[in-house]
Formats: sequence, structure tokens, C-alpha cells
Amino acid sequence: MIYLEPIIEVRDLTKVFHSRGRKITAVDDVSFDVLDGEIFGMIGPNGAGKSTTFSMLTTLVKPTSGSIKVAGFDVYKQDNKIRPIIGIVPQKLSLYPDLTARENLELMGKLYDVPKSIMEERIDYYLRLVGLESHADRFTGGFSGGMKQRLSVICAVLHDPPIIFWDEPSTGLDPQTRQSIWKLARKFNGEGKTLIFTTHYMEEADSLCDRIAVMNLGKLVALDTPEKLKEKSGSSNLEDMFIRLTGEEVRD
Amino acid sequence: MTIMTELRHAWIITVKEFRQLSRNKALMVPLFLFPIIMIIFFGYGMGGTVKNAPILIVNDDTGIASNALIQEIGSYTASYNGNPMFKMTYTKDMAQAEAESKIDAGMYKAILLIPHDYSERLAQNENVTLTLLTDSSDTTTSGIIVGFMRQILSRAGPVGLEIPNIYGNLEYLDFLTPAVIALTIFMGSVATTGSAIAGEKEDGTIVRILMTPVSRTSVILGKTIYQLILQLVRAVILILAAYFLVGFHMNGSWLLVSLVLVIFTLGGVGMGIVMSTRVDDMESFFQLNLLLTLPSMFVTGVFFPLSSVPDWMRYIAYCLPLTYANDAMRTIMIKGQGIGAISTDLIILSLFALITFSAGVHLFRREA
Ligand SMILES: Nc1ncnc2c1ncn2[C@@H]1O[C@H](COP(=O)(O)OP(=O)(O)OP(=O)(O)O)[C@@H](O)[C@H]1O
Ligand SMILES: [Mg+2]
Repeated sequence: MIYLEPIIEVRDLTKVFHSRGRKITAVDDVSFDVLDGEIFGMIGPNGAGKSTTFSMLTTLVKPTSGSIKVAGFDVYKQDNKIRPIIGIVPQKLSLYPDLTARENLELMGKLYDVPKSIMEERIDYYLRLVGLESHADRFTGGFSGGMKQRLSVICAVLHDPPIIFWDEPSTGLDPQTRQSIWKLARKFNGEGKTLIFTTHYMEEADSLCDRIAVMNLGKLVALDTPEKLKEKSGSSNLEDMFIRLTGEEVRD
Repeated sequence: MTIMTELRHAWIITVKEFRQLSRNKALMVPLFLFPIIMIIFFGYGMGGTVKNAPILIVNDDTGIASNALIQEIGSYTASYNGNPMFKMTYTKDMAQAEAESKIDAGMYKAILLIPHDYSERLAQNENVTLTLLTDSSDTTTSGIIVGFMRQILSRAGPVGLEIPNIYGNLEYLDFLTPAVIALTIFMGSVATTGSAIAGEKEDGTIVRILMTPVSRTSVILGKTIYQLILQLVRAVILILAAYFLVGFHMNGSWLLVSLVLVIFTLGGVGMGIVMSTRVDDMESFFQLNLLLTLPSMFVTGVFFPLSSVPDWMRYIAYCLPLTYANDAMRTIMIKGQGIGAISTDLIILSLFALITFSAGVHLFRREA
């Protein structure tokens, strides 16, 4: 497959947080494109700035400087144009524990202005797809991590967004659930959706992604296909490449 | 984004809030049961302490006006549960020092001194000051007597005594209920607004909502509509409960009561939003809440008239919005007065609402 059109354009993106008198440069002068229809992976140690980048791409956090265009719209001036066409699965799964799975889905559907009949149809379809149909009327407070992750994903796609942001979809999940998450990712991608996701699992990035961005301490240190990344760093697997690029010390 | 879209989105949030409320059975108790219990409890418990409170009237004036005043006081049969609240005794020619010693000795709960020129000055339309000595060690009783005397005297102004008995019989419950409603609405709106947002911050749901096309204004609007409905329903339930359970009489306009409560709820919601932006989870919200709203309960004269508290406490009370809500609610509900009598209260409450609400919206919009 050949990807030509960039659907997300990030230029000189910087985000500085001021927290308790300390200055934290979470994202430091980052530029990259995400191409239409690709699966774009972001990897990097804890605190590298992946989630912060996501927050800015999804219009939630204003950049300190730099520019972002999503589907041609400026995140700063046209965030109301961007929000309806993106789906977001945040790193911190956020479901109302005192609402049922279906009520959570309906809330999201309504907030995205999905017409009622289409919404109900999609909810039933997706609940079946991720195997939650028998839990539809249970409160999500009692759900397992895997169930919450699957529900969060389908919450994010009810409005059929062409772009999906997925922050650490497989962290803390058992192999079965991770398999099903990957299947979902491939399915969405097969429908032509662009997928941007972060992960700490190298084999996941390797097998899923068309291209991988490596972040470290707020900077983008590499961006290429998995094969090229391995080739350039002279390592046989991504993990070696990762350690070589980002160092061995543990981050706080 | 059009206003209709904003409203539609706001309503989605409102419905969501009500659905969550219906799931939270534990919240029903403090929201609906506590205030009712409070009225019954304090109403009966504290009302009982004001039975046959001895009051001495010292009349040094021989004029007509003072005579009429005394008759008025005597005929004012304030009662609680059928028992007279006061026992009046009359005398003349007693110096203030002597009167004070009698209160010290516990013979009287209060002594009213009518100066010798009372009638004369009233006749010339001049200001005249009566002295009311009270046993302030008994705050409940003295407070009630002060309130009682105020009512009587407010009718003994230059126009004489022709003003009909508009306030009805003063019972402690009548005094208590309007302020308990104000208190309830205040504590309720601050705590439920703030803790809901703090909880949504804790579990990340508010951030998730803010990622959707729904604007922050709609989110706040939805929560505000929910609070207005919830708090007004609580007030109605409370008034009805007070009426059926303890015989409270509503003398004033329901419309005015609603107006005061709507403005006050807006202030409470604003305050709750402001407070929620200062914390990261529910636990710290409740600590902050305790610090900021609990003092209002004791300082603003919910359970006793402000006239019976020391000056320093009264000055604190004047800085707290609940004080003005209490006053407005009492003026409407007990005295049956119109909007003119509560205009100052309304202005101050509106300012409170305006300030907290704009601060809340501003801080909430700035938050990531
Ligand atoms: N709201 C905030 N206020 C202050 N500092 C923040 C804020 N959000 C993130 N940071 C800081 O910015 C840096 C980047 O955080 P970010 O969450 O983007 O990292 P990440 O790559 O997603 O890490 P992880 O893999 O652990 O999820 C961290 O040092 C973090 O402490
Ligand atoms: Mg992260």
C-alpha cells in the first residue's frame, strides 16, 4: 500500500507545564506527519510525552507553541471541526461506573450527535463484536480491565470517526484480550480509518504499525517503518533499537 | 455552535446527572432526609426549651403609647405546641443596674425597659430607644425573645399600633425552617456540584466528556440545570415536610422563595465548581468543603437570631452569603414581605452568584 496524503501535520510542537514552580517540557519541538489510512505507533519510556502529544492532537490541551493540523483543520482555531471526526480511547479509561455499559455507550453516542436509530444499531453491533452483549446492562464499575478497555474502544467509534487515537490499548491486559484488541485495530484500519496508538510492547508495535515514532524526554528521536528502524540501528528486534535510542536508565 | 445545540448537549448532561443521582441511594439520605430530621429534631428539641420564659416589662412612661405597647405585648400569645412561650410580669421604676442584677439572679430571661419619654417622643415622631436586657447565657431563649420583641416593636413605630398582626404567632420552627432551607440548599448545591466534578476528575470521565464535541459551556449549563431542578425540588419537599410534620406556616410568596433559591443555588453551583477546580479527587474536595461551608452553618444565624450573637461573630456572618439568604427567606416566609424588603439581600446574593459563577466558568474552561 502507498500512503501519500498526510492527515495529521505536526510542526515544531512544544508543550511546557508549570507545576508547583517546576517547569516541565513534556513535548519538545516535535514535527511529524501521520498519513491517511496508516497505523501509526508511538513508543517511548514513561514520561516521554506520548500522552501529552495525544492530548494536543485531540484538542484537549493547548500547545505552548507550534502548530497541528488534523484533516486540514487547525487544532487551535477549528477544534470544533476536529472533535467530531476523531475517536479517542484515553490512557486513563474513563467510564461512568454508576452507568451501565449501554448507558455509557448511549451517552457517548448522544454527545457525538449520532442519530438514535443508527446509534442503537451500532451499539448492538459493537457490543457483539467485542463480546460484551451479555454485560450490556451491567454497571461498568464491576467490569474487569479487559472489559473496560473493550467498552472504551467501542465508545470511541460509535460516531464512525475516520481517525482513532488509542493511548496504550493493551497495557495490563491478558494475551487473549490483547489479541482481540489487535484484531479490532486491524479491522478499523481495514475500514480505512487512520489509527494512532501508543504502546510499551515492542512486538505489538512491530506487528501492527506501518510506521513507528520513538519519543524520549519530550523529543522525537526516530520515525520510520519497523524494518527500517531495526535496520538503521543494527538490531534484530525493536526492543534493542528502543534501548539503544532511549538509554537504559529507568524514568520517574 | 448554535444555542439550540448547546442546550441539547446541556440537557444530555442534565439527564446523565439525574440518572447517576438515581443510582446513588446513599446520597438520598443527606439530600432529603437530613434536613427533614434537622427540622424535626431542632424544632422540637430546641423549641421545648422556650416554655413560660419569664419576661419583666419595666414601664417608666405613663403615656398612651407605652400602655398600648404593653397591651400588645401581653396579648401576643406566642405559643409552642400549645404552651405559652413567655410569662410576662409588669412593673415600673426600676433602674437598669437593678434590672441587670435580677437577670444575673436568673429571675427573668429578659427585661424590657421603657423610658419615661417613650410616648412623648413617639408623638413627636422622634426616634426612641428601648432597652432589652437578656439572659444571653441562654442563647436560644434570649434569641427568641429578641426576635419576638423586634417583631412587636417594628409594629410600634411612628404609625402606632394599627398594623395588623401580620406575622402570625412566632414559633421557633417558623424561625428555623426558612433558614434550614437556605442552609440545605447552600450546602447541597456546593457539595453535590463540587464532589460530582471532583469524582469525574478522579475517574477521568470529565476529561472524556471534554474530548467530545460538547462545549465546556454546555457541560456547566447541564450541571447547573440539574442543580436548579434538584435544589428546588428539595426546597419544596422540605417546606411540605415542615408543614405536615411540624405545622410550619408559609406566609409569603412561593415565587419569591423560588427566586431567592434560584439565585442562591447559582452561587452554590459556582462555588462548587470553583472548589472542584482546586482539587484532584473527591476526598480532598470534601476536606475543602468542610473548611469552607461548615462555618456558615454555625455563624450565620440559622439556629438563633444574629441579634443574639457577639459582635465579632456578627461581622463574620455579614461576610457570608448564607446570612443574606437566611434573612431573605425569613423575611418572605415568616413576615410575608414583598421583594422590596429583601432587595439588599437579593443584590448581595446576586453578586455572590455572579462572582462565583464567572470564576467557576473561567477556571473550569482553563482546566485541561
Ligand atoms: N497536566 C500536567 N501537569 C504537569 N505535568 C504534566 C502534566 N501532564 C503531563 N505532565 C508531565 O509531562 C511529562 C510527559 O507526560 P506524558 O503523560 O505525556 O508521558 P507518556 O509518554 O504518556 O508516559 P507514560 O508512558 O507513562 O504514559 C511527564 O513528566 C509528566 O509528569
Ligand atoms: Mg501516557
